[in-house]
Amino acid sequence: MAEKKAQPGELLQGTLDLLILKALASGAMHGYAVAEWIHESSQDVLRVEEGALYPALHRLELRGLLSAQWGMSDNNRRAKYYSLTAAGRKQLALETEYWRRMSGAVARVLQTA
Amino acid sequence: MLREWANRAWLRAKTLWKRPQLERELNDEVAFHLAMREAKNREAGIAGDEAGYAARRQFGNVTRIRENNRAIWTFAWAETLWQDIRFGARMLIKDPGFTFVVVLTLALGIGVNTAIFSIVNGLMLRPLPVSDPASLAYLAFPHGPEFVDSQFSFPEFTDIRKQTSALFSDQAGMIFGGLAGFENQSDGLTVDGKTETVQTSFVTGNFFTMLGVAPVQGRLILPSEGHAPGADPVVVLGYRYWKTRFRSDPRIVGQKAAINGHPVTIVGIGPEGFDGITPLIAMQAYLPLGMATLDSGGNTDFLTDPKNRSLFIIARWHGGMNRDKAQPELSVVGQRLFQQNSRPDELSALRAIPLRPPGMTNPPGLLPKVASLFLILASLVLILACVNVANLLLVRATAREREIAVRTALGASRMRVVRQLLTESVLLSTLGCIAGLGIGLNVSNAVTALPLETDLPIVLNFPFDWRVFAYAAGVALLTGVLVGLFPALRVTLSNLRDVLHASGRGSTGRRQRLRTALVIAQVGGSLALLIVGGLFLRSMRAAETADLGFNPRNVLNLTMDPHEIGYEKTQGIAFYKELLGRVRAMPGVQSASIASSIPFGETVLGDDLDVQGFPIAQGQIAPHANYIVVSSDSFKTMGIPLLRGRDLTEADDENASRVAVINEAMAKHFWPNQDPIGKRFVRTSDRKRPIEIVGVVKNARIAQVSGPFEEAFYVPYTQNYASTEILQIRAGEKPEAISHSVGEVIHSIAPTMPVSGIRTMSRAVHGINGLLLFEIAAGLAGALGILGLMLAAVGVYGVMSYAVSRRTSEIGIRMALGAQPGQVLAMICRQGAIVVGFGLLAGLAGAFAIGRLVSEFLVGVTPNDPVTYIGVSLLLAGIALLASYLPARRGTWIDPMVALRHE
Repeated sequence: MAEKKAQPGELLQGTLDLLILKALASGAMHGYAVAEWIHESSQDVLRVEEGALYPALHRLELRGLLSAQWGMSDNNRRAKYYSLTAAGRKQLALETEYWRRMSGAVARVLQTA
Repeated sequence: MLREWANRAWLRAKTLWKRPQLERELNDEVAFHLAMREAKNREAGIAGDEAGYAARRQFGNVTRIRENNRAIWTFAWAETLWQDIRFGARMLIKDPGFTFVVVLTLALGIGVNTAIFSIVNGLMLRPLPVSDPASLAYLAFPHGPEFVDSQFSFPEFTDIRKQTSALFSDQAGMIFGGLAGFENQSDGLTVDGKTETVQTSFVTGNFFTMLGVAPVQGRLILPSEGHAPGADPVVVLGYRYWKTRFRSDPRIVGQKAAINGHPVTIVGIGPEGFDGITPLIAMQAYLPLGMATLDSGGNTDFLTDPKNRSLFIIARWHGGMNRDKAQPELSVVGQRLFQQNSRPDELSALRAIPLRPPGMTNPPGLLPKVASLFLILASLVLILACVNVANLLLVRATAREREIAVRTALGASRMRVVRQLLTESVLLSTLGCIAGLGIGLNVSNAVTALPLETDLPIVLNFPFDWRVFAYAAGVALLTGVLVGLFPALRVTLSNLRDVLHASGRGSTGRRQRLRTALVIAQVGGSLALLIVGGLFLRSMRAAETADLGFNPRNVLNLTMDPHEIGYEKTQGIAFYKELLGRVRAMPGVQSASIASSIPFGETVLGDDLDVQGFPIAQGQIAPHANYIVVSSDSFKTMGIPLLRGRDLTEADDENASRVAVINEAMAKHFWPNQDPIGKRFVRTSDRKRPIEIVGVVKNARIAQVSGPFEEAFYVPYTQNYASTEILQIRAGEKPEAISHSVGEVIHSIAPTMPVSGIRTMSRAVHGINGLLLFEIAAGLAGALGILGLMLAAVGVYGVMSYAVSRRTSEIGIRMALGAQPGQVLAMICRQGAIVVGFGLLAGLAGAFAIGRLVSEFLVGVTPNDPVTYIGVSLLLAGIALLASYLPARRGTWIDPMVALRHE
């Protein structure tokens, strides 16, 4: 039964996916830039293990949420640029909404406790 | 949406064979990342190698990340599928008996379906090998629901062509040599001094260009050819004929040859796979239309007489034109044709009928009807097989309930379990499909190899092409899913905890009801199949035992046609006279004669009659009768009793007055309660010479195996010369034995005379126009019925055994409380009887419905034949009850103590 894939916790994985989608909402980026974007925009609170980014990117690509293309970086090196597909954009909206509700609910639960 | 999906599928597929490239790309990505990070670290003031190390630390374990990525790239579902298949295969190997029964059942079901589909495909679905076959049609006047009149005269063709140029881009006409109504029924092709009978088409010059086909060798008939009678002595050979007679020798093109003794040149070979537009009978030679003078004895009526109708018209629609759009205009054209040329039919609208395989059959709807009937019967068998297998799988799935419950408890999702079970059933149906293809191929080959008892080049070719394979694969997949889905859903629906807690024999009533319903369906379906099979068998018996009116035993037939080697009438008559004289003198010959046709042969001559007292009103159809041109002794040879008057003799020649012998049916029709001897009638094709009736014979079959005897008359060959004649010899015993010496006699008189159709009358009776179709139909329907019966017996047995094993403890308690074995037996048998009873009711209803479909194929038996219905019902009831009695008896052997301890 190969039912369960070797995956980290569902929530963590979902979170990383959401962060990646959000990062790419502003335009195509390579993997390094996505990592940097997450660091910077979370003011270094969210520290993704940078290597874990790549399996996530590739999985999202296979699911059709991202498309990828090789291009030239600012410093003239070959880099793989990821961008959101239409499906990716939809997924981002869905997950954002879900995350808002979740975090709102969790916050309320914590307040009442 | 679709594009994205395709893109994703592409990406996924790419991971299968682009693994090395993906790995390289990932390495590049990681290297790029590390380089960027290192540069940033350096900017932040980390010096030397430390910047690189820090970058690596931040990145994490590169190898593990590669591993993770690989897992993603792995075609996840492909891998689980493979796992399922391996597991499924292990399960099937573990239980070889079960696997064998299921695969065999499915193989039989899929096999008969594939076989019948391959026949339907070969006859009807494979498109004609011409360009854009869908835009071709042939013209015809429907003549009642059963028959279309698709023959036109050449002047009518020219008229139609002119008046319908807005509908059709092109139209071509053709005359089939053998069917043209010329008295010469076949043509002889002489090459290098050897003459063979060939099927010819005389075609207008545009025939091949309109069809858009290209020659394999040389050229085809040219549009400029065929306009003037006898002007273009060229012949194009059919590919199949070229291959068999001339072994594909390309040097044959350009050679001199002769058709019916007239010199022609072979100019080309037709395209491969093209057998003419009536693909059931392969056309062997094509000549320009004007060359039909070779068959008409130089007469050019077929080009000028508007009433000489032997031309078939095929036409190609203009783009955007179709039957419905064209019908109003066609009707007008048809009406005009009727008024101008006084056609013999009733007035009906001219129609364009799609030209599809098997070509121009008459009636056009018969073959599709037969095909759909047998496809229905075959699917019924498949459904029965499916029900059986579904039942078996259900039993098995129930037995595996605990295994499945454990899996679910360990975290397998319901989808996953259903998928596993479905994989197993599809695996089974795939094996069944492979075995079924083998069975189908054998059945289909057996049908192809049936002795048709005809010398016509009939092409029975049922290749297993992609359509057949696609059909078989589709059927197998559908079967696999259908038989698997039911049990899978059932099992996974059951409550996990109940199963794990109970001892595994908590009989759920609903499941039992489902199985009972399946068995009712099975008994019903099998009864319907059996009844249809029984009807066909009875119909065949009726046809075989019907009074033919002649005695086919110990008669040998040999066909020859002096016209094919260029003999004219006087030579022909002299030839036959000498032949008959010499054959009659041979030892062992009781009687010898000639006849222009034999019963259930390839052709029948017929003519319209004008009989005193039977005036033909304007627009009415003249009375029609078949006739046979015979020599003296023909009735003696055929064993047809002469009731009154005299036989025809050689003295009835050109100089004597015209005479005929008629059959009882004709006597009764035209001269009821009178003595027909001495009465006269006129053939409308030869009004000048009235015919006097000199004798009456008993009715004998001519063309139809069944139905009322048709009016027919016999005329002497010395007054009505038809060059194609069949020499018939009644011998004491083993008529085949003398065929060689008869051949020698023929060739000593005419050394190059082609002789064909050498077979006994008994064999001929069982040929394609005789009983063969009844035998095929009865054989197929009977086999399907027996298959159904076997499946039903197995099904009832399985369900009853299962019911008994489920009720072991109940039976034990009953017996412990004093029930006698007889009572237990009765109780279980009653259950079986109720199921069988409902099944029989369902089956009778089904058979009644199918019976209406088959009624027109039955002879001498009604579709509601009570003997068949009652007999078959009793047979099935008996077998089904036996199948439930055996497990019931086993139930009575249950030891109460054992049964109770069991719980």
